[in-house]
Amino acid sequence: MTKKLKGSLAHILLMIYLLVILYPFLFVVFSSVKTDNLAIAQNPFGFPKEFQWSNYVEAWVNAKISTYFLNSLYIAVLAAVATIIMASMASFALTRMRFTKVSPLLYQIIILGILIPGNALLLPIYNLMRTTNLLDTHWALLIPYAANSIPFSVVILTAFMKSLPSEIEEAAVVDGLRSPGIFARVVMPLTVPALVTVFIVNFLGNWNEFLLANYFLSEDTLKTLPVGMVGFRDAFNINYAQMSAGIVYSVVPVMVIYAILQEKIIEGLTAGGVKG
Amino acid sequence: MNRAMRNPLMYTLFLIPTFIGIILFFIYPVINATFFSFTDWNGIAKTYNFTGFANYMKAMGQKEFWISVRNNGFFILFSVFIQVPLIILFSLLIANVKKLKGLYKTAVFMPSVMSTAVIGILWGFIYEPDIGLFNNVLGLFGIDKVYWLSDRSWAMLSILITNAWQWTGFYIVMVLAAIISIPKELDEAAMIDGATGFQRAMRITMPLIMPIVSVVIMLSIAGAMKAADIIIVMTKGGPAGSTEVMATYMLKHSITSFKYGYGNSIAVLIFIFTLIITALYQVLVVRRTERIEY
Amino acid sequence: MRKSLIMMLSLIFVASALLAGCGKGDNSPGTSNTGSSGGNTSQGTKVEPFELKMRHIEIGEPNKNRLARLEAVKKKIEEQVPGLTIKLDGVDSEVNRKDKLRSEMAAGNPPDIFDAFGSPDIGVYAKEGLVLDIGPILDELNLRERFINLDPWTYDGKIYGLPKGGSIEGYFYNKEYFAAKGLEIPKSLAELEAIAEKVKADGKVPFAIGSKDAWVPLMTTNNLWAYYAGPDFTAGFKTGESKWNDPKMVEAVSKHQEWVKKGYFKKGELGIDYNSQRNQLLTDEAVMMYDGSWASSVFNDAVGADGKSKFGFFVMPPLNEGDGLSSMVDSNNGYAFSAKVADDPQKLEAVKTFIKTFFSDEIQLQSLSEDGLLPSMILSEEDLQANANNELIKEIILGMNELEYKWPAFDALVQAEVNTELGSGIHRVIEGVQDPKDMLDALQKVQDEANAAGE
Repeated sequence: MTKKLKGSLAHILLMIYLLVILYPFLFVVFSSVKTDNLAIAQNPFGFPKEFQWSNYVEAWVNAKISTYFLNSLYIAVLAAVATIIMASMASFALTRMRFTKVSPLLYQIIILGILIPGNALLLPIYNLMRTTNLLDTHWALLIPYAANSIPFSVVILTAFMKSLPSEIEEAAVVDGLRSPGIFARVVMPLTVPALVTVFIVNFLGNWNEFLLANYFLSEDTLKTLPVGMVGFRDAFNINYAQMSAGIVYSVVPVMVIYAILQEKIIEGLTAGGVKG
Repeated sequence: MNRAMRNPLMYTLFLIPTFIGIILFFIYPVINATFFSFTDWNGIAKTYNFTGFANYMKAMGQKEFWISVRNNGFFILFSVFIQVPLIILFSLLIANVKKLKGLYKTAVFMPSVMSTAVIGILWGFIYEPDIGLFNNVLGLFGIDKVYWLSDRSWAMLSILITNAWQWTGFYIVMVLAAIISIPKELDEAAMIDGATGFQRAMRITMPLIMPIVSVVIMLSIAGAMKAADIIIVMTKGGPAGSTEVMATYMLKHSITSFKYGYGNSIAVLIFIFTLIITALYQVLVVRRTERIEY
Repeated sequence: MRKSLIMMLSLIFVASALLAGCGKGDNSPGTSNTGSSGGNTSQGTKVEPFELKMRHIEIGEPNKNRLARLEAVKKKIEEQVPGLTIKLDGVDSEVNRKDKLRSEMAAGNPPDIFDAFGSPDIGVYAKEGLVLDIGPILDELNLRERFINLDPWTYDGKIYGLPKGGSIEGYFYNKEYFAAKGLEIPKSLAELEAIAEKVKADGKVPFAIGSKDAWVPLMTTNNLWAYYAGPDFTAGFKTGESKWNDPKMVEAVSKHQEWVKKGYFKKGELGIDYNSQRNQLLTDEAVMMYDGSWASSVFNDAVGADGKSKFGFFVMPPLNEGDGLSSMVDSNNGYAFSAKVADDPQKLEAVKTFIKTFFSDEIQLQSLSEDGLLPSMILSEEDLQANANNELIKEIILGMNELEYKWPAFDALVQAEVNTELGSGIHRVIEGVQDPKDMLDALQKVQDEANAAGE
């Protein structure tokens, strides 16, 4: 009896939390098919009385969501992959190779990066991108994104790699493998769960990034989703219904990707999180 | 063994890509920012003068600067004392329910995959005084309109709530992962000894998930010190600078007012403050064994 | 752990001292090396294709006509200049002016053609040689004498940009509502306040407003202080002749605060975007709105039951009936060009063609008839009359002709940091957390510092 009660109490609390999370989405979805601001104002939460699907057509034409979305997607993925390659190589060297004097110092230098506010360094990085003529190309985001997530990735990956038993290299060395081989064939496959975590976290960071994207790219066809959406808001903030349609476009694809990948993501976080 | 894993050439090769990144995007910019923080450079002119610590002294004497420091403090306090307990509570709840676990796990993560810019727009909608969601709900109970984003007493809280909405789920999934990985035998043994669910949560689960909670807190603190995007898209630091944080204060001065040198001194201060807070946290709060090594 | 932190910090400081030498080289703008493609003049048989980047602010629904005109101009220039492609890049006005352009300038890398504000921005950029001196082009095209006022675009005797149009500021108002309630255009501030009181009693918002960006409420404040302290008072801040905390200024800002406290503005104004204030007028929520004449295009299509323009325009009335009308009149928004254009004959040619095409009678008149944008160039009276094709625009032109005092907006006359401080100051005053006197005292301090820093 009490057990059952407790069980349903848990569900009630969780359902409230779920409502808080999901309601804003519903609000936007409903608003996106309402005729105008007045219709939203008169019936803000309710199901729309009339469906004005043309909001979606208008928003698609006006907002260029597809371009922004693809830009964001490939930049976020490529940069996250690049970070993983660099960070796992470094973590391997720091934790598995026998340089016990130098490694801790190098590790600390890398780790200090977590504390440095990325936003604060906007202008020096801007100058760097300019002198290398990379502004207004996607490299201007790919390179800083890849570099900026190195410290966090190294923390997670070294923690994970440290926990692997040292016997594995010993066996590999006996088999005649050298360090690159040990890295690629032995350590990397064992690290996959942590790699997934790091990938997801970095992907999200890149996907969300606004400041650099806002300052470093000006050509419309190159813009990423966050910048595109803010531009869309600035341009169409008079029409809430159309703006909602724009938001739906920007959110739904990510939701679909997340729904497909969610098991993997949580597995990754599980593996990485424990070691963190 | 020794030859393979003690090859200095290989060691260097493995570390070079990371260190190129670190030098170009962390060390060089920090040095650059530190250097200009001692000048009066306007960001555009070809010349500048060294002004010693004048920029730092000026920042220390500005009320607006301290408001922004205080707001970063709010971010930290809100994360640590409100968000973190909620994260633990919901993680424990989700871990212990049998039905609908998948749904909960999926749903809580959803806000974290949205871009901050989009969340800013979405919540701008919710806080809208006339047709927004919140005031409509409050209206049902006969409560007067609240001007969420334009009233000093609510604006910061509104931003904190939005920020929590975005990130709580992400951390829940991390903590949940730690809970799930606790060996079942421990829990079962305690159950046989007659411990209640609550006792088991406090005595067995909690100590075992403390390391990950500690990581969550560290990430929250670092995140709180860097926060800028959410404020830029929601209030631009308004009303009247009451939601300005150090990062937005810095951007406002370094670029908008042509005070690049001054802005850089703020950047350096952000860095130093973050260093101090995390160091304090590590020394005072976290037990030796759980420390993240710096 | 602590030891290593201290070590890192000291490392950074030592290194920063070392970098002093190289820092200069990295950050001195304007010395870039873009002249490389300079050899390709049009005399060759083959024309190298090239690109011109153009930053504009004509985004969104309210600016669609402006964008269309710009695109037509782009097409024309591309036809005239072989090999040219113009890349248009639209950015929100405030973002472009305050953030994007400034960071690009800091990096010495502005777009070839960019939307800019004349004073004080252009002066700062011109001083560092970042913008193109267009004097020679104007002479060649015989345009120098065609502009009404190029002062905001002049630095050290040279001209660095051209205004798109002119504008005045005043109240847009709902004519239908005024007629229905028997209200007349006010002749003094007291009459304006009486109207506001009546509108409020009627349950409507007297003044539409969106104060998230501080320049929006400051338009009203600026006009108030022009009446209280005098039209030329603002110009004296930079020279030290005028003080922000002058009793007259305090009176003007207090008047603004009084209006806020009396509820003449829409509540929650600090959280509302500029664009939404028009919406408040269009949806009949508010009855009047202080804005620049550039906003008139939004009201073009709004027609009352009688088939005439639903909205009208009047200039803010003076303190006492019969005193001369006073309003901001400026031509401070326009286009300027990157100094680097001079290194590339092809680009220079394209810029010349742009100036010739865009700053023409045709575009000026189109801007007037489509958007109510007042001309920045001297045009014939007949042309003006023929193209002011709706009543609202006629009223705006009328308002301008009746002005006795014209002055530039405050932000053209004070330093950027003073503008920033005034912006947060007016927000505090509107919010009611600071007295006008305290705000202005603090502002004067910033002004003194800025004056001392400038040479």
